[in-house]
Amino acid sequence: MIGFKEITHRALHGPMLSPRDFDLRVVVPEMRKVVRDFGIQYDPMNPVPADDDLADRVFRAGLKFYEAVGTYCVDSERVIRFEEAELLEALEDAPSTVVLGHGADRREMVSRRPEIEVPPWCSLGAAGAGVSSERILTSLVTAYAQLPLTDSITLPSLTMLDGEPIIADTPLEIEGAIRATSLGRDSLRRAGRPGIPMVNGIATAVSGRATIAASQFGFRETDGWEIASIAELKTNFDLLSKVSYIRSIGGNILAETGPILGGLAGGPEGTAVLTVAYHLEGILVKQACLHHPFVIHVKYGCGTGRDALWVRSVSTQAVSRNSHFPILDLGYTAAGPMTRMVLYETAAWVICAVVCGANIEAEGVASATHVDYLTPYEPRLAAEVAHAAAGMDRSRANEIVKALLERYESQIQDPPLGAKYQDCFDVERGTPSLQYQELYAQVKEELVGLGLKF
Amino acid sequence: MTSEKVLEALAASVVEGDEQGGRKGAEAALAAGIDPQKVLTEGLVAAMRTVGERWKANVIFLPEVMMAVEAWKAAMEIVEPHLSADAKDRARRGVVVIGTVKGDIHDIGKNIVATLLRTAGFEVHDLGTDLTASHFVAEAERVNADIIAASALMTTTVPGQRDIVEYLQTIRRREAYFYIVGGGGASQAWADEIGADAYGGTAEDAVRGALELMGQEQESGESN
Repeated sequence: MIGFKEITHRALHGPMLSPRDFDLRVVVPEMRKVVRDFGIQYDPMNPVPADDDLADRVFRAGLKFYEAVGTYCVDSERVIRFEEAELLEALEDAPSTVVLGHGADRREMVSRRPEIEVPPWCSLGAAGAGVSSERILTSLVTAYAQLPLTDSITLPSLTMLDGEPIIADTPLEIEGAIRATSLGRDSLRRAGRPGIPMVNGIATAVSGRATIAASQFGFRETDGWEIASIAELKTNFDLLSKVSYIRSIGGNILAETGPILGGLAGGPEGTAVLTVAYHLEGILVKQACLHHPFVIHVKYGCGTGRDALWVRSVSTQAVSRNSHFPILDLGYTAAGPMTRMVLYETAAWVICAVVCGANIEAEGVASATHVDYLTPYEPRLAAEVAHAAAGMDRSRANEIVKALLERYESQIQDPPLGAKYQDCFDVERGTPSLQYQELYAQVKEELVGLGLKF
Repeated sequence: MTSEKVLEALAASVVEGDEQGGRKGAEAALAAGIDPQKVLTEGLVAAMRTVGERWKANVIFLPEVMMAVEAWKAAMEIVEPHLSADAKDRARRGVVVIGTVKGDIHDIGKNIVATLLRTAGFEVHDLGTDLTASHFVAEAERVNADIIAASALMTTTVPGQRDIVEYLQTIRRREAYFYIVGGGGASQAWADEIGADAYGGTAEDAVRGALELMGQEQESGESN
């Protein structure tokens, strides 16, 4: 497989193009062409299609599309492009498992397939959502680590530092990232699981230098180092420099990508194809150990609408049927904590992901854009649903997801924000309020009624 | 071909994002002797209204809107020299400078807002990403903008939106511009706290806010 030295060479010497031409003259027409040529059509009646041929066509379309488009480096204004043979070789050589964590908490994440009974890896946490204080960060991370089904955790982003808002590209970013990392590691020790992997890099760090600086304070090569993309299919030298550093320490790179539904790829069909392209980009450009997608709607900021669930289901099937490179699928909900809707949304996206062949990372609550609007209960439900859904067939999953959509999709455009962590959990003890406990129990009972076996 | 048919064909080319069709349609309309003001309002503005309605209904997505804007620009290059100064002013809703704040390279939301503002008739100067407060303001001064729009995706970059207000106050130019903030890191409460004039929770909200600030009621369905 092509190595990182060659990726860097192509980023520096590949064909030149303006960003506008890359978007409008390459991405848009090539996407329209493959969607048409491969006959890909969105079916709103079936958010979890059981159509292997559709999945395989989406995969082939993604392969063709990525071969034509490549990845754009915004700093050099050059395209990192690959030939078909290089893409096929990368798929062949990509890893099929990844070992994360340290000591007794060391685990192996495996590649999954549609309808497989193998339990999914459950990465539980904040998915980088902001918290207002170190006390809340510590309480949340400790609680995430104590959830019985946690295989790895994701840290929140610290937004305040000693009463000052943390500002990117300033010394506060470096100090904030260091503080969040050391607090996260200490929280895992308090939970009695010191080696559990933290897999969202260093959430408080924006720049590569902050990531590298903060990693000296408790982030290990056995954790998960996320490398993001710039929408769509773009990178820059800061991101590529992080890849270079992480490779040098033998760290695990997670290829994090957020295909935007309604964005440059167009509707659900193009967004599913784009997700496949990102799978290939993750193996080659980011030299990653797993594919970490999160589909997100351009208007609603979540991945739980009917169209987004279809994209998640179809793209996951496409990739898991045709590639052994593991998928860690991340969900963003529209609603916030202690609402019935957030629990329905969580169950819906997790069922789609698990049944179609992904591991899960739960989750970005309330689009992960509202400070302190997250609790351990939403990822806990995600993990319980994930284990219950393993082995379920796609037709059954389709019916359950449709029933869930009926309960919440009318509120996607105007979702309830719910309650802050400190308003529905005891921050000192990390325990939920009676009201949230009752709501949680009621929704689980409903899920049992829909056919999930916990 | 009747005037109505000529204008319908022009509008259809713009809606379809056909640059060449937009240019030829505009030339055909002028060659047919149609009043340039009518070509603008009943051809081009009507087309962009349709684009806005289709975006709102999720019938089309960002690529179609971007291509329509390109076709509209191509047609406007033909029509604009024939418009009176008054008509040009009436056609232009206002001038906006837009970008992402210092430290933030996430530009897709900003790009969508810029595109929808264009469909609503604003002259938009997209300054790009990772911009200092003084850069926003210098560009606003240079192009005689009405509105400064700043996007921030992350909680760690959103303080850059406050910097723009503070910079405007420092140079005593706060009253010279309307100021709109948006992006995942912002909120209505944040906009209120820093004294922004409008908050764009969605791209459509940002356009609605821009129109309201300019004192122009949004026509039914247009760009929302």
